[in-house]
Amino acid sequence: MVGAAFVVLLLLGVPIAFVLAGTALFYIVWSDQTLLLQSFAQQMFSGIESYGLLAIPLFMLTGELMNEGGITKRLVSFASVFMGRTRGGLAYINLIVNTLVASIMGSAAAQMAVMARAMVPAMEREGYPKPFAAATTAAGSLLSPIIPPSMLFVIYGVLAQIAIGDLFIAGIVPGLMMAAAFLATLALIGTLRELPMGSSLSLRERLIALRNGLPTLMIPFVIVGGIVAGVATPTESAAVASVAAALLGFAVYRELDWRRLPAILMRTGLNASIVIFIVAAANLFGWVIVYEQVPQALAAQLSALTDSPLMFLLIVNLALILVGMVIDGIAALILIVPILLPIAINQYGIAPYQFGGIVCINLVLGRLPPPVGAGLFVMTAMTGVRPGAIVRALAPFLIATVLVLLCLSVFPGLVTVLIR
Amino acid sequence: MRAISAALLRVERVVLIALTLAVTVLILLNVVTRSTGMALFWVDEAAIYTMIWAVFVGASMQVRLRAAISVDLVPMALGDTAKRVLGFVVDLLVLSFALTLIWLSFIWYDPIGLAQAGFDFGAFAGSTFNFIYDEPTVTVGIPKFLIWLIMPILGLTLTVHSIANLADRLTGAAGPVLEDLVAS
Repeated sequence: MVGAAFVVLLLLGVPIAFVLAGTALFYIVWSDQTLLLQSFAQQMFSGIESYGLLAIPLFMLTGELMNEGGITKRLVSFASVFMGRTRGGLAYINLIVNTLVASIMGSAAAQMAVMARAMVPAMEREGYPKPFAAATTAAGSLLSPIIPPSMLFVIYGVLAQIAIGDLFIAGIVPGLMMAAAFLATLALIGTLRELPMGSSLSLRERLIALRNGLPTLMIPFVIVGGIVAGVATPTESAAVASVAAALLGFAVYRELDWRRLPAILMRTGLNASIVIFIVAAANLFGWVIVYEQVPQALAAQLSALTDSPLMFLLIVNLALILVGMVIDGIAALILIVPILLPIAINQYGIAPYQFGGIVCINLVLGRLPPPVGAGLFVMTAMTGVRPGAIVRALAPFLIATVLVLLCLSVFPGLVTVLIR
Repeated sequence: MRAISAALLRVERVVLIALTLAVTVLILLNVVTRSTGMALFWVDEAAIYTMIWAVFVGASMQVRLRAAISVDLVPMALGDTAKRVLGFVVDLLVLSFALTLIWLSFIWYDPIGLAQAGFDFGAFAGSTFNFIYDEPTVTVGIPKFLIWLIMPILGLTLTVHSIANLADRLTGAAGPVLEDLVAS
């Protein structure tokens, strides 16, 4: 009955935060636990009394400042210094810049929008087919959930109550694996099909691009370095990164304008609230999950199916891609983790880091395939390429991602190796 | 109601900008004071509460701006008329939640019970076993019920915005657009 109310509200198109809070309200009345009503509002508030969540607005602020400050174009010319005259040079540059930007933006949708604007027209000018340019950019955005500082990791860390810094560190090896897999895919495509040559730069142009690009690398260095070295919490390094981004934009590149600051803060605040409000509502929904013993019930069914952790992870992989196709990544994460994580840990002995990495990649992967992949439609809207054409060009990258996911499912050590 | 909602939205915009800036400044203050060995013990908690206020102000705004995340599988598949009817139902559901939140805050803050206890927090807690007014914050040094006030405020602002949304549906008017608000 409660499950039905949840599904109906969700399918009606009620905003997900209200689906969660409304279902919880319905459950309280239906199960006659009206004592809970008095603490309803307090429960919603306490769901986000978390230091870790502070990282979200700060990372978003950094991303906004970098966007407005002209970071992307400098990263593109920086990356082109290293590629020069290579077949498919600009496609590699696209992926490399995506990898760097992933460590700044932390949101796949935002990254996809920014990169599509920056890279697709440039690739088209050099003679790449437009669907291929769009697909390469979309594939690059798949890196954002796993390369630190991932927004999904921040939320996963809060939900799973594990250190977000450790999660970021855990994401490094899988993130590099994904990037390497994508570069290998490109190399393969490059040998099979004639990709355009990259243009070569003069020494002087290279030096200018290097000088302009180096300061931008400071941002990922501040974020990842501070966390890995253990001197800063993710929240603190996010704050420092936002200052660094503001300094670059205002003082070094002089592309930011103080008068734009209110608009930047407004967009940051609103985007952060869209995410964190769902976390608050999910805390109410947690009542339903706990009192109705949803994880226990699901665990009983799963254990009848398999007792192998690997099989469990494969089932989870499949289920999550399906969920990610319907529900936005962050919202899906908030829904799923409280249900599946206890099963993963208690019944199958899976480390929360490995589980987190797999869940986050899956949910972003689910954004791309048709019929409902939200990311696909972002790309279509940004580039005007039909979804079908993007999907065909995207298929090799999706296969590469699935292979990485399988690796991560089979070898838990890949995720936990860097954690002390 | 749409005029009230528009005015409210402008106020919320300013508040949201101020709170977002405050969160950033507080965390930076924390970084600086901690690295110089003069850590201020109240900053973390203050930053968290500032963020929570920002979140709920933003939550109210995202309803009016229709910026919240939802599953649009079914609405996308419907024709125009059915889509409008469905949208009306959704807005109605959000409004009913907003009104419920006001009521829930009312039974939580229990102003009538408080008045009956002569606004004596101790006597109120003794007679109702509702300890809302006795809950302290850990380090910020003000009673927690003041900080929790954002919940009834959220109920009120959500009510205003969702009624304005319903009015838009009935008249077929376009609501406020995020980019206009950002740029204003």
